[in-house]
Amino acid sequence: MKSMLFAAALLAAGPAFGPAFANASVGAAAPQFTAVDANGKTVKLSDYKGKTVVLEWTNAGCPFVRAHYDSGNMQATQAAARQSGAVWLTVNSSAPGKQGQVDGLGAKAQIAKDKAAPTAYLLDPAGTIGTAYGARTTPHIYVIDPAGKLAYAGAINDRATADEADAKAGTNYARAAVLAVKAGKAPDPATTKPYGCSVKYK
Amino acid sequence: MIRALLLFLAATLAIPAAAQSVSQQPNTRIELIAETATPAPGQPFSIGLQLTPKAGWHTYWSNPGDAGAPTRVAWTLPPGTAAPQPLAYPIPETLIVSGLMNYVYSHPNVLVTSITPPADLRKRTPFNVTVKADWLVCSLEQCVPESATLTLPLVIGDGAADPQNGIALAMARAALPKPMSAVADWSAADGRFVLAVPFGNPGDVRSAYFYPDADGVIDYAAPQVVTVAGDRLRIETKASDAPAGAITGVLRVVIDGEEKPLGLMLTAEPGNVPAAGLPLAADKPRAAGGPGLPLILLGAILGGIILNVMPCVFPILSLKALSLAGGNVEPAAARRDALAYTAGVILVCTALGGLVLLLRAAGSQVGWAFQLQDPRVITALLLLVTAIALNLAGLFEINLSTGALGDQTIRKGGALGSFATGALAAFVATPCTGPFMAGALGAALILPPVAALAVFAGLGLGLALPFLAVGFIPALRRRMPRPGAWMTRLRAILSVPMFITALALAWVLGQQVGVPGMTAGLAGALLLGLLLWWLGSRQHSGASSWLPIGGAIAAGVAAILLLPVADPAVANSGTSAPAALMAQRFSPEKLAALRAARTPVFLYMTADWCLTCKVNEKGAMADASVAEAFRRKGIAVLEGDWTRGDPVISKWLADQQRAGVPVYVFYGADGQQRELPQILTVSALTALG
Repeated sequence: MKSMLFAAALLAAGPAFGPAFANASVGAAAPQFTAVDANGKTVKLSDYKGKTVVLEWTNAGCPFVRAHYDSGNMQATQAAARQSGAVWLTVNSSAPGKQGQVDGLGAKAQIAKDKAAPTAYLLDPAGTIGTAYGARTTPHIYVIDPAGKLAYAGAINDRATADEADAKAGTNYARAAVLAVKAGKAPDPATTKPYGCSVKYK
Repeated sequence: MIRALLLFLAATLAIPAAAQSVSQQPNTRIELIAETATPAPGQPFSIGLQLTPKAGWHTYWSNPGDAGAPTRVAWTLPPGTAAPQPLAYPIPETLIVSGLMNYVYSHPNVLVTSITPPADLRKRTPFNVTVKADWLVCSLEQCVPESATLTLPLVIGDGAADPQNGIALAMARAALPKPMSAVADWSAADGRFVLAVPFGNPGDVRSAYFYPDADGVIDYAAPQVVTVAGDRLRIETKASDAPAGAITGVLRVVIDGEEKPLGLMLTAEPGNVPAAGLPLAADKPRAAGGPGLPLILLGAILGGIILNVMPCVFPILSLKALSLAGGNVEPAAARRDALAYTAGVILVCTALGGLVLLLRAAGSQVGWAFQLQDPRVITALLLLVTAIALNLAGLFEINLSTGALGDQTIRKGGALGSFATGALAAFVATPCTGPFMAGALGAALILPPVAALAVFAGLGLGLALPFLAVGFIPALRRRMPRPGAWMTRLRAILSVPMFITALALAWVLGQQVGVPGMTAGLAGALLLGLLLWWLGSRQHSGASSWLPIGGAIAAGVAAILLLPVADPAVANSGTSAPAALMAQRFSPEKLAALRAARTPVFLYMTADWCLTCKVNEKGAMADASVAEAFRRKGIAVLEGDWTRGDPVISKWLADQQRAGVPVYVFYGADGQQRELPQILTVSALTALG
């Protein structure tokens, strides 16, 4: 009887798994997507063909994200990337009701508050882009080369903490990857372990 | 002078603040503990960071999984002391949130390392250990980084263990994974990662999970399939991008019969791995029996069949069956009767089950037979059972089809009567929680609502099955004895168990609301009896029946409404156990205290309206040899009385996944817990301990 109960409990607990992740791998074509940005405009990855594209997963309630914005590191990285001709897309995959979820107005307010400078802030409440790329943490950075191949995936830098001092220090992998792609080289490292809060998928 | 004194005071006051070894952060309590307050020079001693996340929150393992962060420490030690080794982490737990894997601790956890004071330190030299800890604590919704600087003011001495923290650290070290000498093999092909670990007794493994130390080995959230391949445990899961070289990690193994999981620190080299082997022990029943629901349904149906022979149901059923036994019953009419009866039984069972689920959802602590906790329901049952008993004894007849209404209505009336009989049988069956029933019902309460209702319906089907068989199989009907004068006699004899049931209900009523309440209930039964007698005599003389029936119904309603509701505390005291057992009343605290003292405990849950309970208490449990055996072995007896639905006991029953009483559990001196069958025997009880 015990084992029957156990089996029943397992059955009941069975369908509790979340979204299925398709990890985008470095060197392969970056998954295409279409999304609505903070201004209500439709943005497609294919719009930026021929340009380097950086994807940054965000959640303004996450202390790791805060460390990078409050220290100014994220804004500086965004500015440097855009200055070198790259496109910077901030993606928010927080599901409705979860931490960090915003609508277009909320996203614009956050951009203004942080003095951030992304090319666009994409709203992904269904987690479609997040699951296509396998984004796990906030922040989680992806760099796509002008040919549309994924060149870098992982952490923004090598200091896996929520300390503002650490955010500015260390090796900035995102900045290095953008520079390497611009120089026509493969980023090294091309993959790192992302750190931060888990993406608040539905 | 005064200024110097103030400075001195300030300095003295500042010391305790600076030397804090414990800190309460918003979501975590953290404490620095050392094995000894007086470490010996040159001798390493254990030191640990004890993190206690608040309920619903967790801290992280050294590899946090898909997200999160490990705990980081910066030590400040007296000059000349070597920096300690990185913290050792206890065996973690898995937690999947929105498809992302977290390797966490949702309970207090101690991260351990050791410090060796320089060998040249003199005794009584202060040896302050300071650590700045940064950790991440998360709930399912959010993550908060917390930080604390803790100081332990140790003094160099003899290295004697601290009585409290010495034990805490010994337990913390025991909770760490153990190094494994044998080297495991791993291989990755076609996106699958396979790990093969040499293991002494793989047949005893109930479950296993591999936590890799580094990122990029496996897809954390992918399920790990564990099989036994010869003398190796084989773990297969989705590979991450590019595993390479030697892979280290912790293998968490749950062994059959072991309370705590085993943690093994292992190293795996690229090598040959076997093909998938046999499923683990815990997987076998599921693999063989398919999903659990059919089994549970079968249990419910079996339990329902057994209910047919319970004293409170049997008379109703046997008379109903005999009414079909006459050779002159048309097969179509028999089938219709059987179906109507089945519908009545299943409807009431499902309705009662649905009510239980509804009350559950609304937060009330209820279980099966919950309706018997209300004295008004008991009174209604008492009157009903008295009326049935008087009917069986021949005082009056139940005749739903009065002659004037014609043949068509007789048929309808027959089906309606059968439906009512079925509903009645199901309702009065609830006190007889049969051995099979409790388990199936317990399972039903943890199933999704639709499946749970299916279980309740299955129970009803089981209860109706014998009558259904009689109705549909003419051969069975022919085998039943011919009706005749003996039927009247049998009917009168069957009234005896019904009268006894009425007596038992009167006793329960007395237990619930005291002598005045019982007297009111019995007065109602007497009045009902007189009115039914009148009804019977009018039936004999052919006069109209409506007057006495109306009176009987009015008497019943009045008895229920006039019932005094007594104070539960007054009405229910003491235990019902045989005096020789010296039973104490159950409370979770008492049980915990007895178990902590390693005293063997025989615990049982009972209720006055539970016939099985009373049979056991007056039977096997009352035997002198049982009391003697319990006394000799020092077995304490705890009784929980659920007659009035005590919420503490309801919660305990829910924790045990039981929906009703009786429940008999024995807790051995070795801490093992064993449940006893619901029908107790003297030998089973004397063999305990």
